[in-house]
Amino acid sequence: MGQIAGAMERSAKELIRLKESLFWTIAWPSIWVVLFGVTFIRNQPHDVLPVLKGAVTVPMMVFALMIAGMSNLPATVSNDRERGTLAKLMSMPVSPWRDFLGRVLGLLSFSALAVILVALVGYATGARFGLSPADLPIVLGFLVVGFAASAGIGTVIASLITNVQGAIMTGVGLSVITAAMSGVMAPYSSLPAALQAFARIYPISSVNSSIIYILFGVDYAGYKPITIGQVATTIAASVAILTIGIVLYSRVAWRRR
Amino acid sequence: MNAIHVEGLTKTYGDNEVLKGVHLDILEGEFYALMGPNGSGKTTLISILASTLLPTSGKVEIYGRRPQEARDLVGYVPQSNFTIPNLTGRENLIYFARLLGHSKAEAAKLADDLLARLGLSEDAGKRVSAYSGGMRKRLEAATALFPGIKVMLLDEPTTGLDPSARRRFFGLIQDLRGEATSILLVTHLGSDAELASRVGLIDGGRMIGQGTPEELKEQSGVENVISIETAAKSERAASALGQFSEDGRVLETDGGYRLYSRDYERATPEIVRALDQVGAKVLKVESTAPSLDDVFFKMTGKAVSELD
Repeated sequence: MGQIAGAMERSAKELIRLKESLFWTIAWPSIWVVLFGVTFIRNQPHDVLPVLKGAVTVPMMVFALMIAGMSNLPATVSNDRERGTLAKLMSMPVSPWRDFLGRVLGLLSFSALAVILVALVGYATGARFGLSPADLPIVLGFLVVGFAASAGIGTVIASLITNVQGAIMTGVGLSVITAAMSGVMAPYSSLPAALQAFARIYPISSVNSSIIYILFGVDYAGYKPITIGQVATTIAASVAILTIGIVLYSRVAWRRR
Repeated sequence: MNAIHVEGLTKTYGDNEVLKGVHLDILEGEFYALMGPNGSGKTTLISILASTLLPTSGKVEIYGRRPQEARDLVGYVPQSNFTIPNLTGRENLIYFARLLGHSKAEAAKLADDLLARLGLSEDAGKRVSAYSGGMRKRLEAATALFPGIKVMLLDEPTTGLDPSARRRFFGLIQDLRGEATSILLVTHLGSDAELASRVGLIDGGRMIGQGTPEELKEQSGVENVISIETAAKSERAASALGQFSEDGRVLETDGGYRLYSRDYERATPEIVRALDQVGAKVLKVESTAPSLDDVFFKMTGKAVSELD
């Protein structure tokens, strides 16, 4: 447990002190929340504005999770590889999965902070979420599922792309492209049929739609994602991506040649 | 008792055989330096001992265990600056101590103790990115000084430090390690290797000599070395000096040249004249005791350090 806790603390502190991770994970989604609020939707009727602002804040909270998992995690692993920290870890009595678990828990703490801050920015600009106490654990559960998928994709990137800049740019690029393609950054209803199908399979998009559905209803979500089949698919896909990430991390990133 | 036992070790990458049957024994508590030029296989050897690389064939044991099973006994300091720049010196040490299984309170105590002993207490709260090269090297060495570590593997730990900082660094390491802790130092610097109780010379993936620094110097047959400091170096100057060297070879150093001659008194004025004829300004000529760099050069005809 000490090893995992040590790795978790290190990971959380490192991320919170990295200007790049603060910008991409917290500032950038927050900027979009503000931009949406003051420009794109400002001409909407006053009575729906708080809900509309809420409905654009949630995707940015999910986007913060995506950037944290897909870009910050690969950045820290690639940095470790490049400066020799990973070689040092491999020489110590540490197993890859303990290191991984510590890193991911540290990232989870940082991601939670990012999500809260983006939500607060949304609230400060007038967004309202209509979150009932009964819905809170469900919403948190979906956020954790979304985090797991993002961290899984990030671990795959970290394992396969050794160059630091390459890992960061791949993570940012993949986050932006998949967010645009899957309806995280655009209304689900505006997607063509093929991308709507992708949005239902892509767990991060499904998580986003589920939270929007719970908070604002089916009109904002574009479809009804809270069905047994859809939720099971989302959880299974997240677990599968995370598992692939862990396997690649221990077999590729920690490979002794 | 052997802390490290290496027998017939080979390592190949495709067709490239980096280690060609290395044999090496390092005793408990011994300070052993492995000296060789870049590409000689020394970093590959230490990486196998640190279990970050796997051997192709041969036997490698640390206290009778395979390197991967002996990781709790090993303190490895890679050549690169591996500490985490965004954490403070203290946070770095706590992190590495916790990975060794120490509780948070124990790790904090160990970190404070080591920081004090390494003269880093005042800077313990500073982020490592603000540390000087020497401070960072000391901090990184501290990660190999935690209790329970019996073998320190140091890969070029003084890269980037000036000679006096290097001496201070090794002085500290010698003072802080336990009596039973062995050190394997990998270096291309003869002056660092001189501090070890035993030195192994490695070239082209093979051990080419082994013994105390004095034994190696004696075995090489190098008695007197003439050291020549010049304002600038040139191929013509090096070639002009060849005639004064007993074996015809001239070693380039940072500030000039070194060559072997039994007759310093007779050779000196002729050396100055010869260099003057090729337009090389002589700053200093002196007779010095042979160094391990000279021994390596005598044995291989190669300079152990890469020169600018």
